Amino acid sequence: MDQIALRNFTERYLEANGCRIMESTPSYLHTQLSIEADKDLVNRPYYWMYVEKMNLPANPLQLCFVFDPENPPEDRRAEYLFYGSPRFRQLLRSAQKQGKFVRLYQEPSGWSQFSSQSKGYTPWLSVHYLVSYVCDQKKDRVSSYGINLQTGQIKTDFADELHCFKWTLKLPEKRYTLSPRMTIQEAVGEIEYFLTEELTEEDHEWAEDAHKRLNEELEQVNAYFPDGAKQTDEQKSAKTARQRECIWQYHPRIEVDLVSAGLFYLENGLQNQ
Amino acid sequence: MNTPPIRFHREWLPIFQDRVETDSGWANWDRFQLAIEAAKVTAVPEFDTLLCLDQLQGIEPLPHQIDVTKRVIQEMRGRAILADEVGLGKTIEAGLILKEYLIRGLVQKVLILVPSSLVLQWTRELNQKFQIPAVAQKKAWMWDKYDIVVASMDTAKRDPHREVVLSQPYDLLIVDEAHKLKNRRTKNWQFISEMQKKYCLLLTATPVQNEMEELYNLVSLLKPGQLGNESRFNKDYVAGKRLAKNEDQLRQEISRVLIRNRRKESNLPLTERIVQTIPIELTPEEKALYKGVSNFVRDRYSSANDLKSMLSLLVLQKEVCSSRDAVFLTLFKLFQKGNGEEASIPPEVNHLIQLLRAVTTSSKVEAAVDLISSIDDKVILFTEYRATQEMLMRALASKGIHAVPFRGGFNRNKKDYMMEIFQKRAQVMIATEAGGEGINLQFCHHIINYDMPWNPMRVEQRIGRVHRLGQKNDVHIYNFATIGTIEEHIIWLLHEKIALFESVIGELETILESLEKDTSLEKNLMDIMMKSKTDEEIRNQLSQIGARFQNAKEEHLQERAKKEELLWTK
Repeated sequence: MDQIALRNFTERYLEANGCRIMESTPSYLHTQLSIEADKDLVNRPYYWMYVEKMNLPANPLQLCFVFDPENPPEDRRAEYLFYGSPRFRQLLRSAQKQGKFVRLYQEPSGWSQFSSQSKGYTPWLSVHYLVSYVCDQKKDRVSSYGINLQTGQIKTDFADELHCFKWTLKLPEKRYTLSPRMTIQEAVGEIEYFLTEELTEEDHEWAEDAHKRLNEELEQVNAYFPDGAKQTDEQKSAKTARQRECIWQYHPRIEVDLVSAGLFYLENGLQNQ
Repeated sequence: MNTPPIRFHREWLPIFQDRVETDSGWANWDRFQLAIEAAKVTAVPEFDTLLCLDQLQGIEPLPHQIDVTKRVIQEMRGRAILADEVGLGKTIEAGLILKEYLIRGLVQKVLILVPSSLVLQWTRELNQKFQIPAVAQKKAWMWDKYDIVVASMDTAKRDPHREVVLSQPYDLLIVDEAHKLKNRRTKNWQFISEMQKKYCLLLTATPVQNEMEELYNLVSLLKPGQLGNESRFNKDYVAGKRLAKNEDQLRQEISRVLIRNRRKESNLPLTERIVQTIPIELTPEEKALYKGVSNFVRDRYSSANDLKSMLSLLVLQKEVCSSRDAVFLTLFKLFQKGNGEEASIPPEVNHLIQLLRAVTTSSKVEAAVDLISSIDDKVILFTEYRATQEMLMRALASKGIHAVPFRGGFNRNKKDYMMEIFQKRAQVMIATEAGGEGINLQFCHHIINYDMPWNPMRVEQRIGRVHRLGQKNDVHIYNFATIGTIEEHIIWLLHEKIALFESVIGELETILESLEKDTSLEKNLMDIMMKSKTDEEIRNQLSQIGARFQNAKEEHLQERAKKEELLWTK
């Protein structure tokens, strides 16, 4: 992530979190944090506990982020924000925490908003997964899926389609929501099944390799410790412990974590495509 | 091809369902987008790229350090002996590897075991250079509370800590100075062996000090069985205690778990050392004092029987080459403690005090002030004595030269503060200690050895603070030698006979150890100085020491070359 992208992200984060920009220059950004952002970005849980317990006026901090370390402001404390700096990591974590669950309605577009006819919205469940391929090494992918809660139809890269519309938190006038024919839990089960199929189709040479390494290591362990009968108790437990370590280190697996989940109510069209 | 097991984490589902039911706690579109972007930014795109390099600021790892990081993660799978020679940055390598694993989410719980004198330094380096939230272990509860803990091996292996540490699986264990694990019958070895660890880094500049078995023991900590079991190893690879056989194969096996970079091959941008002896002529009063003190020391030395008074005499003899104030302080202490009453000061001491009073100027201080004024750049000046340090501070201040003091006794914050002032504002730092932790002065390239320690290690430490990786200029070393004194002889020995100043002598400590089998070098030098009758005699004896040093060095190099062959794998 370069400094331009990083600044862009930071500005959008601050805006989305109700922080005020006090001063913005090419090299730095001075901001008044909102209470919520202060709690996420500044490590002072006791302060907030105290303020809330005692019912005191909250006093969130001002921070000055520097993007160009050559040119910090001279008159105040400022911190260099870069990809990998603790503060920016907190910012990324906070963003993930706060944007995890969403429920949105499509904003009526074009002529349809003037039409007097009322329309039903189809409910979709959108899920972003972080799929991690783990052995002694690791790689991830972030994937988007959507499932029509009426028909059970599943779409990959669902987020791309969501980008085609405008969204609002409230159900617009003259719109009503069609009731889903499956529960959230069932829908999630369907997506998991779908993703499992997808993963089964993939090439898992990495896992085979990891398995090979694991077996080699286990062979070494066998060669190192004496055979069953000659083993002392101590050696036996050392051997088991070492075998466990090898498995811990190498055994290949796929972990699927949630990035975000959302209910999206869409006008129509999508399910017919 | 078989699909590995898939695990869906569903902890989020009840929370989501709850939001649906209560219709609250929803994010808006912007936050929803930010969360996805944040997840994409933090996701790890490939198995075998290095991500840590883009996330570091303020350090620029050297090519060999990046290479080590890649090899440890990609080829050695996170279990390795990092055996670079001293000064090539093993700490940096370990930091890079740790950082990479943290970014990839493969490591969370980390323990770093180092000698107790290095705990704070390691913690600071990880915090400052790598932005890794490591803490120094101080209290027993800290083992659980923090994910990344730096502790001393001696603490960790002792009760009550031992049990806590052994019950906790560590994703990564780093052990610095791992040659302390060469003997499998020690508590240290067994402790590390018992620990539950996923990845493990052992750092040592000397993986084989003496016997082949040491290497076997180290490797067996990392990967028991890599070199077979003990009898197999002895049969396949050991021809004698210090002799290997089937060397090619052994080398190959070792290269799977050990990486060693050497100065010679690493093409390090290490700059030159330019050494200059500054002869200093004493005033007649100073000469008289020197003579007086030397005679006094010589008289007493022959009759001194306990070690403590011998040491005081040794100090006195050295101090008289440093400053009048230092001598005064030591004399004062010597007789204040010993005799209590003023009246009982012996006449010969009284005589010395007279001589001290007569000295009103210091030729050495003047030379220092002149030299520093002419340098017009940062200078670090080392002296062994507090009194000298204070005297120099005063002298420089009176000339309007900004200097800061530095002492071992300062606490960490004060040390940092002094270093910062030196870097940003002061021209001179006057330091009484060179060893210890975390004094890195690469921004300075003029060293004055105002007085000369008799122990070569201390000299090497002084120079090492400045002449190290990251030094961009040639380093100027000025050795002050008062003419006609012991100091002149010492410098002659260190400079001409041991060749201490021109270049780094690898593993100086080991060479000195073999030289000091019976008596310490310092004691030896003192004896020579005290018992020799003429300068010529002194020089002869010193030449012998020099020759013995060169022999020991030669021997050490040869033996090392033999071991090196095994470790040298590129």
